[in-house]
Amino acid sequence: MKIPYTWIREFVDLRLSAAEAADRLMNAGIEVAAVTPLAPDVRGVVIGEIEAIERELGDSHGHRLLLCRVSIGRQKFSVICGAPNTKVGVRAAFAPPGAVLPGDRRIGTTTIRGVESQGMLCSERELGIGLEHEAGIFVLDGDAPLGADLIAHLGLDDHVLDVEPTPNRPDCLSVLGVARELAALTGTRLRVPTIAPKEAGAPVRTLVRVRIEAPDLCHRFTARVVSGVTVGPSPAWLQARLRAVGLRPISNVVDVTNYVLWELGHPLHAFDYAAVTDATIVVRRARAGERFTTLDGQERALDDSMLVIADTRRAIGIAGVMGGADTEVTDGTTRVLLESAWFDPVSIRRTSRALGLKTDAAYRFERGADIEALVDASARAAQLIAELAGGAVAHGMVDAYPRRRRPRRIRLRMERVKRVLGVLPPPSKAKAILAGLGLPTRQKGRDLEIEVPSFRRDLAMEDDLVEEIVRVWGYDKLPSVVPGSAGTPSIAGGLTGVRGALPPTLIQTQTVRQALVGAGLAEAITHAFSDPACAALLRAPGAPEPLRLLNPLSQDAALLRIHPLEGMLAAVSVNVRRQQPDVAVFEICKTYEPDKGETGARESRWVTLALTGARAEPAWHTADARADVYDAKGLAEHVLDALGVGGLRPGGAGRLAGFEPDCHGTLVTASGAIAAEFGEVSARVREAFGIDAPVFAAAVSLDVAAATTQVPLRYRGLPRFPAVQRDLAFVLGAEQSLTAAEIEAKLAEEAGPLLRRVTLFDVFRFPDGRRSLAWRLTFQAEDRTLTDDEVNRVQEHITRTLTQTFGITLRSA
Amino acid sequence: MGHPRVDAIAQEAREAVAAARSSADLEQARVRFLGRQGVLTQLLRSLGTLAPEERRLVGAAANEAKRMLEALLEERLAEALESERRAQRTRARLDLTLPGRRPARGVLHPLTRVHDEIVAIFAGLGFSVVDGPEVETDYYNFEALNIPRDHPARDMQDTLYLTESTLLRTHTSPVQIRTMLAQKPPVRIIVPGRVFRRDVADASHSPMFHQVEGLAVDRNVTMADLKGTLGLFAREMFGPESRIRFRPSFFPFTEPSAEVDVLCFVCHGQGCRLCKQGGWLEILGSGMVHPQVLKNVGYDPEEVTGWAFGMGIERIAMLKYGIDDLRLFFDNDLRFLRQFA
Repeated sequence: MKIPYTWIREFVDLRLSAAEAADRLMNAGIEVAAVTPLAPDVRGVVIGEIEAIERELGDSHGHRLLLCRVSIGRQKFSVICGAPNTKVGVRAAFAPPGAVLPGDRRIGTTTIRGVESQGMLCSERELGIGLEHEAGIFVLDGDAPLGADLIAHLGLDDHVLDVEPTPNRPDCLSVLGVARELAALTGTRLRVPTIAPKEAGAPVRTLVRVRIEAPDLCHRFTARVVSGVTVGPSPAWLQARLRAVGLRPISNVVDVTNYVLWELGHPLHAFDYAAVTDATIVVRRARAGERFTTLDGQERALDDSMLVIADTRRAIGIAGVMGGADTEVTDGTTRVLLESAWFDPVSIRRTSRALGLKTDAAYRFERGADIEALVDASARAAQLIAELAGGAVAHGMVDAYPRRRRPRRIRLRMERVKRVLGVLPPPSKAKAILAGLGLPTRQKGRDLEIEVPSFRRDLAMEDDLVEEIVRVWGYDKLPSVVPGSAGTPSIAGGLTGVRGALPPTLIQTQTVRQALVGAGLAEAITHAFSDPACAALLRAPGAPEPLRLLNPLSQDAALLRIHPLEGMLAAVSVNVRRQQPDVAVFEICKTYEPDKGETGARESRWVTLALTGARAEPAWHTADARADVYDAKGLAEHVLDALGVGGLRPGGAGRLAGFEPDCHGTLVTASGAIAAEFGEVSARVREAFGIDAPVFAAAVSLDVAAATTQVPLRYRGLPRFPAVQRDLAFVLGAEQSLTAAEIEAKLAEEAGPLLRRVTLFDVFRFPDGRRSLAWRLTFQAEDRTLTDDEVNRVQEHITRTLTQTFGITLRSA
Repeated sequence: MGHPRVDAIAQEAREAVAAARSSADLEQARVRFLGRQGVLTQLLRSLGTLAPEERRLVGAAANEAKRMLEALLEERLAEALESERRAQRTRARLDLTLPGRRPARGVLHPLTRVHDEIVAIFAGLGFSVVDGPEVETDYYNFEALNIPRDHPARDMQDTLYLTESTLLRTHTSPVQIRTMLAQKPPVRIIVPGRVFRRDVADASHSPMFHQVEGLAVDRNVTMADLKGTLGLFAREMFGPESRIRFRPSFFPFTEPSAEVDVLCFVCHGQGCRLCKQGGWLEILGSGMVHPQVLKNVGYDPEEVTGWAFGMGIERIAMLKYGIDDLRLFFDNDLRFLRQFA
């Protein structure tokens, strides 16, 4: 909310600059987003009068160019102007040569169509003080002082505070509220304006009836009537104020309601009295299916949760949100019905959200308006309307107040203040602070009793008052106590030198990170959202539907991720598109799927990795090599190894979509759970991510890893007898679909207890398609040195069995 | 001392050694004098043929000459081998300016680095780390934290909903509730984790970011402790000169509430670009746990008090590393990530 500083000073005498005042507010918890000069960049613009139009210079962009003689009193200028409202005798904003307009636009003498133009007549927009431009130059009253500085004349040599109070402080959504806060903070007296409309004529109750049919949603409704008004433009000072706070002047009556809204914080609405059927206001719930056209010309569908202001015939306003088009004050209005009411915050908020109508009024009502101060707001507005639009204020005010506010009393124990803050401010100071904030206090023994005024609905309990005291007293007065240090109580037994516990999930991810960073990968962090097109591509047949957001930011982030590799593909995509073709990245991430539990979602934890391009930076000592599927598999194995998950074996088909069918493998645990899937990302998927080169990826389930019994670390005695190594190579026929794993499993089985290690160390393909696989076998006994004979016998047995079982041959040396 | 015959041999041997140009020459000289058929060996072997007096003289001199020659050969051989090795290496022409064979070096994401630092500091202060679900119920994320439905305080955190009653958590605070419901005081935890807001991504907003929540509840927990603990944190995180400042604020689940600023570590409060001339950097929100929140989890606010704080990991990382655009964290451009090796 924008508030000119001069306006605040009408209510409180402050010997502070605007910036200093803003600082005080900030230090008391009232956020001030900015302090800006009202007319920051305008210098040297004055009030000039068009004395004469000397000649026409033809058309330019549909406007007639006129050569004018402009006077600023002691000096005259020849100025070319194309504005449609250029007229002799008009006083307008004039920038003589040397003046500066916003955007550091320096005004000089120019030549247009061969004619010299000395300076320029300016529109609101050019001056940066409004949006108007098409209507022409900014015209002032006929009695505006010639040659006077325009900015000073308009009261624009001021600063605007952009106050953004937190939702608990609607009382600071007004000039008066901010002034009250500043008065308390500086120990200055608040000057509340005297509000006394001159009343005349018939009592208001003979002019209007009010019936509240929904007292749960409308606790109070008041009406005043001003008769005999002449609707027209507001005076310059009022227009300038509204512009300064970012509002568009409309007419004197409407402007007054906005002015009072800003000044006192209470939203008002002015109806054209003549348009209100039977001069009767009915506050009721909307009827299901009721349609209503708001001030902005939009027709809206209402429902029975919404509150409307109606007459005997139809709705004439959406309570607390926006008035109606056909009862709005127009140029023809002569009698005004002024509403000042209090509506239930929750109802207003729901209505405003449901209709997508965020108005200044709704903003205040949903935060909680002041049910007592609405009387003053009504009187103030009636008084101003009568002053500015003429007319007479009818006697009195219709006041329907079915739910009278019960003042709240809060007991504040000094002992509680000490317990919460750890320190007790001097009690007299505490009392003075509360009094300064306008909170009446009574001494009750050592304690205080506070009667909460109607403008502080946020003060609901004792600790709220503790906060009031400490925020005004100053948070810097709080001591800084390291809990558990000498002479102070410890917190939760804290700081005793005992380290906090880390959850297994964190220890697990730390292990994974260490392993993969050690292996040269970069850690990525990606979003949890998914594009439906992506999800469709990555969803395995039969997999559950992804979880959908009710209110996504955009359609391409409408789902929660179902595929652990989506983030990795995005990361690879970003890099290859930015000229970095070699990528090796990993992330710790989650996938989400529907579940019957209380949150409705099951979250699965993964570590995923993706590789593309060169395996390593090009180097003089290493032949270029591209990353391939064995890198992805190896890293998955590396991770599982680091996590102590042993006994892994190659598994069958994976569950994840998105891999090339012939390049998709799994690692399963002893109990058969898939611990990891790896493979080459299918061309269709990677192309959808804009990646041209092959991508190899793996996803390791951290949940499966956590659930798998880890191999406990135990020392085993070092071997005491020497080991014997033998290499065995087998040749597989070109047509044989036998896998290395099958051969190796059989080999290990047949080798018996002397085999300590088996390592596949060579794979070779002959030109004719036959494959050669070579294993290095390490034999060792625990109780003796093995003899050649013994090992030969085992080796021969293995060779015989494997060649017979699989129909493969031993490769001769 | 000495014997003319032996002296002659010794002299000859010395000359042969002196004349040797390589380890091979030296070996030749050794064989010639000390080998099985070597001159000195032969001489020593023939001692038995000499008269006893002569044998003693020649024997002593020959043994002396043998020792001398062995020592000399050993010394010269070592020199020769060394110079030959060097010559060989010179021929190999090692270019030590060639880059070394380095193992690939991976990098942790900068947010992980900061996360780990924060966790280490608080774990050291005895805070246990707890985690919780990212998809939450409205109850844990809002209601239990004193943020009722249809309350303007909900505007402070624009929320992504899955259903009317489930959502992506907007802060890690629901884990406060879950933890307190599961255990009796005292409680001393931190909760790092991902959180979500309905904010369009730009330089300072992201629909997903990371928070660390802290919570301490016990008898005699005061706001002064909160200030002390966060002061300690700031010194650990930003250096021993670091100072903090509390400013009043509003959070529905704390009362009183405070924003916490840390003295700008670039200009030490003088005012600079980082702190936008203010001298202070806002790093976290905090306050005393609202009595209603304690009641919601079945704690007695007259019995125990507590404090809580929440900080954005991105915010700290941006300040610490001088990063000016939040989106960089989630782009995962390797040129960015690799800077944090």
